Amino acid sequence: MKEQKNIFNWQPDRSKYPKVKENGELDIDLTSEKFIKLWQGPNHPGVTGNMAIELTVSGDEVVHAKTHVGYLHRGFEKLMERRLWIQCFPTCIRMCVAEPDYNEYLLAKSAEELSGIEVPEMAEWLRTLVLEMARLQSLLRTVPGQAGTLSLGVGVQWGVYLRDLVLDLFEELTGGRVYHMYILPGGVRGLLPDGFKKRMEDVLKKIEEFIVNIENLMFKNIVFKKRTIGVGYIDPAWVDQFGIVGPNARAAGFKRDVRKDYPYLKYNELDFDVTYETDSDIFARSVVRKKELILTLDLIRQIMAKMPEKGDFKAQTPNVLHWKIPAGETYVRSESSRGEYGFYTVSDGSTMPRRINLRGPSYTHAVSLLEKMLINANLADVHSIMVSLQTCPPEIER
Amino acid sequence: MAIRDILTPFTAWKKVFREPVTVKDPLNDRPGAERYRGFHKNDLTACIGCGSCEAICENEAIDLVPVEGIETKSGDSGLRPLVDYGRCCWCALCVDVCTTGSLNLTNEYTWVTEDPEDFRFIPGAENKPWDKLEAGWKKPEPNYEFYSLKREAMEELHPGDRDKSFIEIVKGYSKEQAEAEADRCVECGICIATCPANMGIPEYIKAVRNDDIEEGFKILYETNPLPEICGRICTHKCETVCSVGHRGEPLSIRWLKRYIADQVESSEYKRILGTDGIENNGKKVAVIGSGPAGLSAAHYLSLMGYKITIYEQYAHAGGMMRYGIPEYRLPYDQIDKDVNYILSLGVDIHYNTQIGKDISLADLKEKYDAVFAGTGLHLGRSTRIPGTEHENVYQAIDLLNKITDGKEIHVAEKIVVIGGGNVAMDITRSLTRLQNQKYGKVQMIATALESEKSLPADVEEVVEAREEMAIVNPGWGPKSIEIKDGKITGLHVVKCLSIFDEEGRFNPQFDENNTNFFEADMIVESIGQGMDISYISGDIKDSLKFDPRGRVTVNEYFQSDAPWLFIGGDIIQGPDVIHGIANGHKAAYGIDNFLNQNK
Amino acid sequence: MENYIEDIKLRFDVKDIVSRRDNLSFITCEKEKTIALITHMKNNLGFTHFVLLTAVDWIEDGLFQLTYILNNPNAKIDIAVRTMISRENSEMESAHKLWQQVATYQRELREMFGINFPDSPGVTDNFILEGWDDIPPYRRDFDTKKYAEETYFPRPGRETNDPAEYMKKKLS
Repeated sequence: MKEQKNIFNWQPDRSKYPKVKENGELDIDLTSEKFIKLWQGPNHPGVTGNMAIELTVSGDEVVHAKTHVGYLHRGFEKLMERRLWIQCFPTCIRMCVAEPDYNEYLLAKSAEELSGIEVPEMAEWLRTLVLEMARLQSLLRTVPGQAGTLSLGVGVQWGVYLRDLVLDLFEELTGGRVYHMYILPGGVRGLLPDGFKKRMEDVLKKIEEFIVNIENLMFKNIVFKKRTIGVGYIDPAWVDQFGIVGPNARAAGFKRDVRKDYPYLKYNELDFDVTYETDSDIFARSVVRKKELILTLDLIRQIMAKMPEKGDFKAQTPNVLHWKIPAGETYVRSESSRGEYGFYTVSDGSTMPRRINLRGPSYTHAVSLLEKMLINANLADVHSIMVSLQTCPPEIER
Repeated sequence: MAIRDILTPFTAWKKVFREPVTVKDPLNDRPGAERYRGFHKNDLTACIGCGSCEAICENEAIDLVPVEGIETKSGDSGLRPLVDYGRCCWCALCVDVCTTGSLNLTNEYTWVTEDPEDFRFIPGAENKPWDKLEAGWKKPEPNYEFYSLKREAMEELHPGDRDKSFIEIVKGYSKEQAEAEADRCVECGICIATCPANMGIPEYIKAVRNDDIEEGFKILYETNPLPEICGRICTHKCETVCSVGHRGEPLSIRWLKRYIADQVESSEYKRILGTDGIENNGKKVAVIGSGPAGLSAAHYLSLMGYKITIYEQYAHAGGMMRYGIPEYRLPYDQIDKDVNYILSLGVDIHYNTQIGKDISLADLKEKYDAVFAGTGLHLGRSTRIPGTEHENVYQAIDLLNKITDGKEIHVAEKIVVIGGGNVAMDITRSLTRLQNQKYGKVQMIATALESEKSLPADVEEVVEAREEMAIVNPGWGPKSIEIKDGKITGLHVVKCLSIFDEEGRFNPQFDENNTNFFEADMIVESIGQGMDISYISGDIKDSLKFDPRGRVTVNEYFQSDAPWLFIGGDIIQGPDVIHGIANGHKAAYGIDNFLNQNK
Repeated sequence: MENYIEDIKLRFDVKDIVSRRDNLSFITCEKEKTIALITHMKNNLGFTHFVLLTAVDWIEDGLFQLTYILNNPNAKIDIAVRTMISRENSEMESAHKLWQQVATYQRELREMFGINFPDSPGVTDNFILEGWDDIPPYRRDFDTKKYAEETYFPRPGRETNDPAEYMKKKLS
């Protein structure tokens, strides 16, 4: 793959362009007619949410980029400071539309950890299942979504169909399709419905078939390869420098996965290896995500096989209408499909949280990292690069 | 990069011939899942309008509003939730917290109308098409609760440890137990209206939860100056309507009240309640009887600055609370704790002074600006069946009175108690103790007209009496007492079929063929008490009105037609302690109004 | 974990050491030494992954708490460094030179809490808010509910009843 990178690099070294003035600023004179300002967004392009990138373009080369967010800001972190702990549970999920379940889990986990509540075994399994299902439905959009940025819409349609089948399963289990509101402090809100395992297996089989198709459509497609190999390169040295996590870090050769490194729920009882690639371009990130998809199918099957049939699924908590959580603070994390997703929670001992701060992967991916990656990129690759980072603006603004 | 990278993607073309995967008619072909969280439905007859749904709603989507045809009554606020679907986020927390289980979600989610106002409605009240749907979100089962449905168990003396002595049975909550019990409260406040004294129950429970005993204590005294007493023997009507009790065990409201009072030392009372140095307003009020009504009136009048003098016929204060209720339920030192505080507010009390005998009501009228009479029910009623004139047939109330005074009473080997109320249980259990002390065994039968299910006594009283080896055998009407050679041998009874007729009048029906005989050599009657208001006589009596049951007619402030005379307690309403307290409190306001009018 | 904490205690005056889990501890450091501490942790103790920086408003004490959570990816442990700064003219040394993305966090903190980080690139640029003229909205004294009621249009004629009050009115 290495020599391909050289073939497809359309301009060997553009790092000295645009020129830097003596005072450290970029030498961009908008009145010179050599540059134009171009906005990508903030309309909702499909999988990425409302976010804008203010581009300065010279020819078809981006010379400067600035991320603008704020189109989705509802101040959830602040709203939660004025709500009972139980009322935060329907609020927090909205901080990430793509995978709301991680928010539910992290809020519940924070509350339980601060107040020392043990969650029943059955609930732990169900939580693991729901989090993997959330990853599954998210990847079903993201994997073909990368091809979608190159106008290859067919895969997206297949993915959306299959995602809907997963949402059907969510609907059966939790009563909701997108916002599931299933994992609450103390446990979960119900056992698997009758016949759920079989229906799950049917859906998983269809997804396996989809993976073969998507392999043919995307990964063995010359257009996709030409547009992604060597494009959107992330230097492994940036990983710590920019706080890069999840598939973006794994595609750069970092075997970092919260599920493996800081096992939570039932992940230490599941058998899996961390997926990774080394090329660190858009193609490598897509491959990592495809592998994640396959891994998730396997994990769900393992969970289904190991999970007990029955059991208590919620611990008795204090009365939720005036539940005071002991003063203290904690940070809990989980591995979402985009990487490390964590809640920093502070309680002052009252019935409402003092502060909840979400650490979303996009906070660094979509702002400081993206701004850097876009410099010297071709204008046509901008949205591919953005999608390859799997940006999610709601978790930036919260 | 190879030629197959150009060709492989074209395999996607074969999908062109696949059946479409879309649902053709989603509105009909695709109902929501069994657990779907769609529009609400509410069983309006089961709902009690406690407002827990409103309290938990994080979007303030729920308002509580009156609904036509639903009455406000004890245990039901008459309000029902109105949901604004412009705000609802379908989280179903309202369903999971619902105290009665009346509120559920359905799997209907496709309904639309043109008028946005239609998306605000009262589920269950507007005949929506989904009101009959079974599918939809229900509270998950089992063992999924937002508050514990189980009471904190109260530690009690075991029957074997208590049936020979008069030591208090109930030990009281520890701090941990009290806080855990207080945590179960959903703060709906439905109980307040059912409490005759309208005590601020949710507030003092909250104070327990927050470990703020002083705050809780202040709240108690706002409406009830006898918390130690009520915390032990109140009939706790509030607990019968507790919203948590609909699906689980109601809050132990009474024990929590006792917990607060138990934590406060007598010496701290005045500091906490801020009752040092009340200014006297120069007016004097006499109170007849130091039962709950009299003490309550004396307390609240004292706080308003009146100079109070209580006249008590016995040697100690407390009335029926002391002379009716046995010590194992209500220890005398606890009565003293409550009473002494009230006396410390500057209340004078004359013991062993009976109105009508030692001093007349007319004298009181002369000496005081107003009089409050709460003389209670101290005359035992008799069944008047043949044999009741025998010397070994007793009135429960007389025996209890003597036990309190520490006087020797006759305790036979075999005793039958007639009556199914709390007083009957009190005398039954007192006598079992005395039998145990004297003979080392219990031969005690308590019988009553009422059937097991409708016994007027508190359930725990009956249960505990049985634990103490007394036989409670209800559902029999006493027929006659058999006397042989001048000695009682037993009680003939006949099966009672019903007590009240269709119009609700007392008219017991018996099955004469079904009889029984309870052996006994002593019989105690406890079928209720009557009042003795002979002290109201002469001109004063003539100026008053009486109802058909012989009770003086009073207005809502317990003022009689003789404007200076206020009457309350068991002789007007009840009989129980908490009504007495409420009457006394209300009468205190009435007296205050009356005396200020005269200015 | 202990080794790291011991090392830090040796070099820095830290207090309030709270061990939340085996792999998570909280320590408090004085404002002036905080950046030196996290620099030491990054360069010498292997805490190379910057997890987050945020603030907690302790309005009753007149303080902002800044929390820097650092992660050591090899030892797989986290140490959160807390520092208290005054709410009045709140200002903190910038840490963007250690990790580039910290500039984003600092930009947001300036906007949402009004904490200034001089020298942090682009710190005065709008991040989420545009044309905001009220106090920084994540401060505790900013009342979101009041703001919403004044800014938007509550439905007129909405009313609700407290069960206890309503019953009192109806039944007495």
